[in-house]
Amino acid sequence: MTFSADRPTMIEFKDVHKYYGDYHALRGINGTIKAGEFFSLLGPSGCGKTTLLRTIAGFEDISSGVVMIDGKDMAGVPANVRPTNMVFQSYAIFPHMSVAENVGFGLRRDPRSKAEKAQAVAEALEMVGLKGYGNRAAHALSGGQRQRVALARALILKPKVLLLDEPLSALDKKMREHMQVELIKLQRQVGITFILVTHDQEEALVMSDRIAVMFEGEIAQLADPETLYRRPATRKVADFIGTMNFIPAEILSESGDKVEVEAKGLGRATLDISQAPARTGETPVVGLRPETLTLLYDGQPAAERETEGVIDEVIYFGDMTYYDVYLGGTDVEVRLSMRNVPGRPVLEVGAKVRVAWSPQALVLFR
Amino acid sequence: MKQGTGLGVYAVIYLVFLYAPILILPVFALNDSQVVAFPLKGFTTRWFGEMWADANLRSALLRSLVIAFSTATIATILGLFAARASVRYRFPGKPAAMGLIMLPMVLPDIVVAMALLIVLLSLSVPLSMLTIIMGHVLLCMPFAVAILTSAFQSLDRSLEEAALDLGESRAATFRLIILPLVMPGIIASFLICFTISIDEFVLANFLGSGKPVLSVYIFGQFRFPAKVPSMLALGTLLVLFSIILLGIAEYFRRRGVAKAGGKDSGGFL
Amino acid sequence: MAQTPSSEARAGLKLISPPALYAILMLAAPLATVLVYSVLTGERGRVSLPLTLENYYDLVTRPVYSALMFRSLTVSFFVTLATVLLAYPIAYFVSFHVAPSRKALWLFLITIPFWTSYIIRVALWRTILGYDGIFDSVVMGLGITDTQPNILSNGVLSIIITLAHAYAPFAVLPIFVSLEKVDRSLLEAGQDLGESRLMTFLRVTLPLSLPGVVAAVLIVFIPTVGDYVTPELIGGGKTPMIANLMEVAMLKQRDQALGSAIAVAAMTIVALISVFFVLWNKRYLGGRK
Repeated sequence: MTFSADRPTMIEFKDVHKYYGDYHALRGINGTIKAGEFFSLLGPSGCGKTTLLRTIAGFEDISSGVVMIDGKDMAGVPANVRPTNMVFQSYAIFPHMSVAENVGFGLRRDPRSKAEKAQAVAEALEMVGLKGYGNRAAHALSGGQRQRVALARALILKPKVLLLDEPLSALDKKMREHMQVELIKLQRQVGITFILVTHDQEEALVMSDRIAVMFEGEIAQLADPETLYRRPATRKVADFIGTMNFIPAEILSESGDKVEVEAKGLGRATLDISQAPARTGETPVVGLRPETLTLLYDGQPAAERETEGVIDEVIYFGDMTYYDVYLGGTDVEVRLSMRNVPGRPVLEVGAKVRVAWSPQALVLFR
Repeated sequence: MKQGTGLGVYAVIYLVFLYAPILILPVFALNDSQVVAFPLKGFTTRWFGEMWADANLRSALLRSLVIAFSTATIATILGLFAARASVRYRFPGKPAAMGLIMLPMVLPDIVVAMALLIVLLSLSVPLSMLTIIMGHVLLCMPFAVAILTSAFQSLDRSLEEAALDLGESRAATFRLIILPLVMPGIIASFLICFTISIDEFVLANFLGSGKPVLSVYIFGQFRFPAKVPSMLALGTLLVLFSIILLGIAEYFRRRGVAKAGGKDSGGFL
Repeated sequence: MAQTPSSEARAGLKLISPPALYAILMLAAPLATVLVYSVLTGERGRVSLPLTLENYYDLVTRPVYSALMFRSLTVSFFVTLATVLLAYPIAYFVSFHVAPSRKALWLFLITIPFWTSYIIRVALWRTILGYDGIFDSVVMGLGITDTQPNILSNGVLSIIITLAHAYAPFAVLPIFVSLEKVDRSLLEAGQDLGESRLMTFLRVTLPLSLPGVVAAVLIVFIPTVGDYVTPELIGGGKTPMIANLMEVAMLKQRDQALGSAIAVAAMTIVALISVFFVLWNKRYLGGRK
């Protein structure tokens, strides 16, 4: 995406390693995070995403490598002087203080007058939608309110980077979706870099300008959400982000910017080199997202390619129906999703169908 | 539940057994007879008067208070170090160090007293209130560590990190965040150590000089039947005092748990 | 936090050093001294070389030592038995039949007596159990007997009653803690599978709470063996136990070497019994799984 490309760099990692005793938690992290970007660190638990976030905040020393914030090497810079502030997973609201005392905590050494500081606290509370909550006791707040207090408390210091450690994981589904939108709006309003740690791929896709997907202490792919979804760099990333069908394939030829493959049940297809990310040495498969496959009705022609199939399973979701289909008399099963629209009945198990697909939707992992 | 009521009756009987001696105390402290037996002879407060008129007792009490105050202060401070280290840090030799600190909890007092006494005598250290304090700190430290450990454990570590993150130094973080949240535990620890030290007899007896502290004085007085009623009067006051201190300690301990957002899981031990 | 393992270790060591140093100087060093003294020759408040096992030889050969050690162990055994047997139903009651919000109150009630003056409690038992004391006056007043039972004249029995009372809360708490950890759904599962309440208790609850029972046994047994106050006050010194013997050797006979040997021997025997008990229990528990 062009959004991030022309922005100055805010954070840079150069070959960052972190060991806990024998455990290698971060294994050579490289990459940059741009100023004003909403950036996510996404991965399963134990992948090192929180550790990486904490190296930015200064809560973890790194074993080797460099972490730069705004052009300065952070080695030896303690957490309390870094230009970052954090929203903790538990929110870490000080239970013995009022909401206003919590929000104003970081202003203790601020030379401004008491009245000015109170004004700043009030503004911060208003920004997160907690106008007039200042005198409440912190321990009497709900989960969503705690989070807002934590946000106000961090943002009042006008940090260059706001770090968010799984801030939505403690909220219920409705509240979570609501706060996702609020956070995006807030980030646009204040314009600073947000770095979000999450294990929820949907959350990352919805909120981020760019995402780093991490597995086992390494960044597997760093890209914008659309690239990540449409052109995952590895089979593992593809599997972690959304659903993808993997179909055994054979590479017939590779010349210049074209790759010709024979995919089981689909047949031959010519792919652009952009559809074939760098080799990882795995057995070749092509990947297809469910929504790029369509069931054709009687007489309906395929836009590009089609193949025969038999429905093996029907999963009804209300607005959508998922079908598991055996392709062209093989044992290759793919899942595809169809929008339920009037006039199109849900099909039954055992029905013979024609499946339309497009070679441009394929990704080759090899 | 049938089974529950049967157990309930047993529980009440058990509590009566536990409290019987304590309940008897005020009865005979207020009974107008030197002989501690039924039937009761009549109401009097003269044993309390007799007790308070005893100058030796008053000086013994004063000594005990000084010792208990010093012990509780030192043991709680040392306990703070140990509890913080044990909850927050991993370091080599931790189980051994913590084990040694907690050891007096299971060691018979007489062994601790004799071992300390041998060393003090061989170094020609004169026995005094100071040597009693030294012993009492050793004895109280495990209790202080136990109480303070639970106080530190109910403290969410990200609270500290949040304060650092918001620009405070480590020292200010300790003062502004950790100390206020652990304060109920500190008060509870102080009160418990104070109570233990006031009541303790064995170390106070063997590590003290000729001037007795309260527990040693009481021990001596019980040999004279004529003194028993006034000792019961004193005992009544001491028990009352202990219960009040413990009530306060329990209140602070619970408030600490509630403050830190934790769940209450029981008593002191 | 901002620490590699080594800097974390350093911070931890720095913090632990004041209390640890205190414990080393005031406890470890004196205990080590006792150990050394026990193999020296002692007389009139002094100890001297050469190293000798004379003191231990005395302990083994002179019947008074083994008799008192045996008495101490017997008393402790019965005290432990009584406290743990009496405590289990209470712990069970509080854990299973008391509303969660009131558990803390019950535990508080059970622990209060422990925090009240030990000397006074022990002395009270003397006035309760003594000749024409409270117990005698109640029993005779009710016409149950014409002569004073005078339980106090039976030194060992009085000591057992007094100690069992003093150590009661110590037995309740560990058993309660282990009962609290018993997963309630296991009990429902047991009854769901057709077990009676009693069988569920015997086959599920009791085995799961055994670690607490073991802890209770150790917490009561170890310190009671070395109790000094109760034999002194209750028995009027006529029913001494090992702790009193230790005092006599150290302070009256002024033989610190012999006193040290008694201390070491007593602690060793207690430690061996405890270890043996724990191992035996582990095997038993292991066999059940």
